[in-house]
Amino acid sequence: MVGASIAFHLTRLGEKDVFIFEKNYVSSGSTGRCAGGIRQQWSTRNNVRLAMRSVEWFKRMKEDTGLDVEYKQGGYLILSFDEKEAEEFAKNVKMQKEEGLEVEVLTPKQVKRRFPYVNVEGVKLATFCPTDGHANPHLANFAYMRRSVENGARLFTKTEVKEIDVSNGTVRGVWTSAGYIECEVVINAAGPWSKNVGEMVGIDLPTESYRHQILVTEPLEHIMDPMIISFSGNFYIRQTRHGSFLMGQGDKDEKPGINRKVTARFLLEMVNKMSRRFPFLKNLRVIRQWCGEYNMSPDAQPIVGLSENVSGYFYAVGFSGHGFMVAPAVGEALAEWIVFGKPKNVDVSQLSLERFKGKEFLKERSVV
Amino acid sequence: MKNKKVDFLVVGGGPAGLSATLEAGKRGLRVLLVDEGIQLGGQLVKQTHKFFGHEGTYASVRGFEIAKILVKELKKYKNIEARTMTSVIGIYEDGVLAWDRKENEVFRIEPEYTLIATGASEKYVTFENNDLPGIYGAGAVQTLMNQFGVLPGENFLIIGSGNIGLIVAYQLIQAGASVKAIVEIADKVGGYVVHLNKIRRLGVPVLLKHTIVRALGDNRVEGAVIAEVDESYNIIPGTEKELVVDTICLAVGLAPSIELAAMAGAEVIYIPELGGYIVKRDEFMRTSVPNLFVAGDVSGIEEATTAMLEGKIVGLMVSSEKKNVNLSGEIKALLRELEDFRRGPVSERVRRGLSKMGIKTVSGGFRTEVQRSKGPVGKLRAVIECPQPIPCNPCETVCVFGAISTGGNINGIPWVDYDKCTGCGLCALKCPGLAIFMVKEEVEKKEAIVGIPYELLPVPEEGEKVLGTDRDGKPVCEAVVEKVVKSKDKTHLVYLRVPLKYMDAVRGFMVSPREKYEFVCRCEEVTVQDIEKAIDEGYTDYEELRRYLRIGMGPCGGRTCRLLTLMILAKKTGKKMEELSPGTFRPPTIPVPFNAFLEGDKN
Repeated sequence: MVGASIAFHLTRLGEKDVFIFEKNYVSSGSTGRCAGGIRQQWSTRNNVRLAMRSVEWFKRMKEDTGLDVEYKQGGYLILSFDEKEAEEFAKNVKMQKEEGLEVEVLTPKQVKRRFPYVNVEGVKLATFCPTDGHANPHLANFAYMRRSVENGARLFTKTEVKEIDVSNGTVRGVWTSAGYIECEVVINAAGPWSKNVGEMVGIDLPTESYRHQILVTEPLEHIMDPMIISFSGNFYIRQTRHGSFLMGQGDKDEKPGINRKVTARFLLEMVNKMSRRFPFLKNLRVIRQWCGEYNMSPDAQPIVGLSENVSGYFYAVGFSGHGFMVAPAVGEALAEWIVFGKPKNVDVSQLSLERFKGKEFLKERSVV
Repeated sequence: MKNKKVDFLVVGGGPAGLSATLEAGKRGLRVLLVDEGIQLGGQLVKQTHKFFGHEGTYASVRGFEIAKILVKELKKYKNIEARTMTSVIGIYEDGVLAWDRKENEVFRIEPEYTLIATGASEKYVTFENNDLPGIYGAGAVQTLMNQFGVLPGENFLIIGSGNIGLIVAYQLIQAGASVKAIVEIADKVGGYVVHLNKIRRLGVPVLLKHTIVRALGDNRVEGAVIAEVDESYNIIPGTEKELVVDTICLAVGLAPSIELAAMAGAEVIYIPELGGYIVKRDEFMRTSVPNLFVAGDVSGIEEATTAMLEGKIVGLMVSSEKKNVNLSGEIKALLRELEDFRRGPVSERVRRGLSKMGIKTVSGGFRTEVQRSKGPVGKLRAVIECPQPIPCNPCETVCVFGAISTGGNINGIPWVDYDKCTGCGLCALKCPGLAIFMVKEEVEKKEAIVGIPYELLPVPEEGEKVLGTDRDGKPVCEAVVEKVVKSKDKTHLVYLRVPLKYMDAVRGFMVSPREKYEFVCRCEEVTVQDIEKAIDEGYTDYEELRRYLRIGMGPCGGRTCRLLTLMILAKKTGKKMEELSPGTFRPPTIPVPFNAFLEGDKN
């Protein structure tokens, strides 16, 4: 999605000479495996801004691409089961409101009244942002990619980038499984494989990929508008337009690396946890489970910028599980950077790789 | 031989017998109800249409639902014994013999009082080849279709346009069959106008002064020859027409099932207006034999509503005599109600017949004029198309705003008070004749909204384009489904948006014929064409197609569609199957419910 978004914005700004290399197929990375949530309630200002800007793009995605990506602003309901976390939520909400985001704090009673299918036992507090939402990640990915191609970009699927040709500290081209392409700019938007594509130019990107599992149920008639998540409860769930429920959790015992196997433990933990929290699920059937990667950065915020050492080498990596939802704004920033020399509408200066050099950095805590 | 002594024996568990049983049971009599059928309810169990009448006689409730209500009520009383699959084989001087067909055992009943409520059987008609398989009585068609869920044919010719012929035609169409024509030998339709209108709106031709000449076919019905008749019902040569049908349904009237009463010695008389030979009875349903009563069709073909009222009267009569209590108030009220039900033009024959038997009736005394006003332009409102006085008033009683009145008598023609009508549509949902429509002009847009009561499948969806049809079922304009109000009792109200000039013409609609699909993925309904189009758009990996089209994402996990999709992909792209990636296989192999994993509380 990040790559497709960059291509979309580049071609939107009139850049015709855009090549996209994908070693497998479109949406085969993290996007095609994610739950499709689009959230603006973050604990860091950077993420709030990026997400809010992205929502503007999601709202017009159908218009921009001609494809209905099932975008729905059904809100995000974030449940807290922890007193300390609840206190932090209050701070987050204050900051989010300063950024112009519409957020409210809900008591468990209010949650019950508005979302009667939630078992609020143990809930300390919740926050709700009505303009948050979700979309079909596959379709959004295809939509941006398709419009890019229609605008003149060239898409090469099943084509792997093997090496990046750098001389005198400047990008000259790339070697791919389909041959050599000369170019002035290379953007690393390789998601789970970001580190490998960094190594191709000798940059050590501080990213690691971790497996995250997810499952989907059979469809029900529409009952759930918002995506409902909890950091302290360690889950997220949403109902797709198709009617199925997607849900997942984080697992702190995961080892870094790409692992596309799924576990019985995940299935059992989810089923127990989720049917307690959402009792209606008990009669629903699990259809499928799969997994994808969170490409984690040290502070759980994206790493976006231009390399200081290799001229022409940009990176948009380490999205830490929320690349899909900020992709539109990140794509806009990078495209503007490349075309105009600097980003105009989105400030990504805080997201550069250099932030990790020695200094303290602020970790994003709102991650499942 | 087993011997059963009872206060009251009721023969026949239809509306009359059930009503009598309940009235007597409520009052403590030991009642034995026997019925030949596999379930109680008589003809009610095969009636899927809503009944006419008033709320007290279950108006607007479907026949089989009425049977359920009555049978449920019956089970409350320990002093009532009801036996199905049991036939009374004779009423003798020295007792009654019945045959329990479940146990294959004949037993003796010694009742103090007996009600014969054996109903009627279907009349037959002679024509060439009338022994071919594929020729059914209307009641048999209803039994097969509505009681046992078997549709006996696809293309029907119906002989007779009485209420039964009209109702069966409607039910056949509901069941998905096609009714090619209804032929009626008389010069006018025998059944209610609202029943007629329902099937006319569905485009079924009713051919008056026509009859069947012969059935065609060697081993079963393959067609029928019909022809016009003259005033003396003789076939006019040269008017013969052939129809291609596979089933012929005879709805040529009912004959009272008088056999048992006649064997018991009850006086039988011939009154054609009441169905031919009937059991003579007095106002209180007493036959010429002491302690022997009749009720329902056995003493004159009428409606289920009057059968229920007559049954109640018998139940009260027997209770009053047996318990020696005065129930004359209740009985008189029921007699008045019967009198009221028979006031209208549709009971004219019945009144003539009853007077031949010496039973007084009254007629008239209700409104017969149809309302002229169509109501204020631009306001959503009800229009009632119920021009024939019939004893029926749910529209009046359902309207919480008091906007509909039948003018003080249940037979009167309903009028709408447009100052009070809010356009809520309840009356249209309730009307058993499906004779109330909702309309609203939107003059500026040159469009109008027409609300149509609808009982067919599929129920269209909002936004769906349909063809608006007129009162004869002929297409008149394109229409869009504006709104669908679904009702639990399965009469739905479908609001169409039509061009303004067709507002008064559109009274039905046709759903576009089902498109023909070639499915690859049946779970998610993805067709060959969908896949080919997606490949043309550039999605050439199985996983891409899955993500784009949802193919293989359903409960089967791609068992059927994965290979088919890959074959299409290979063919379209010219690649070999071996070169294609079959995609990922993801657990679980079959859908598993959450609660199967849970220990303890599974609900």
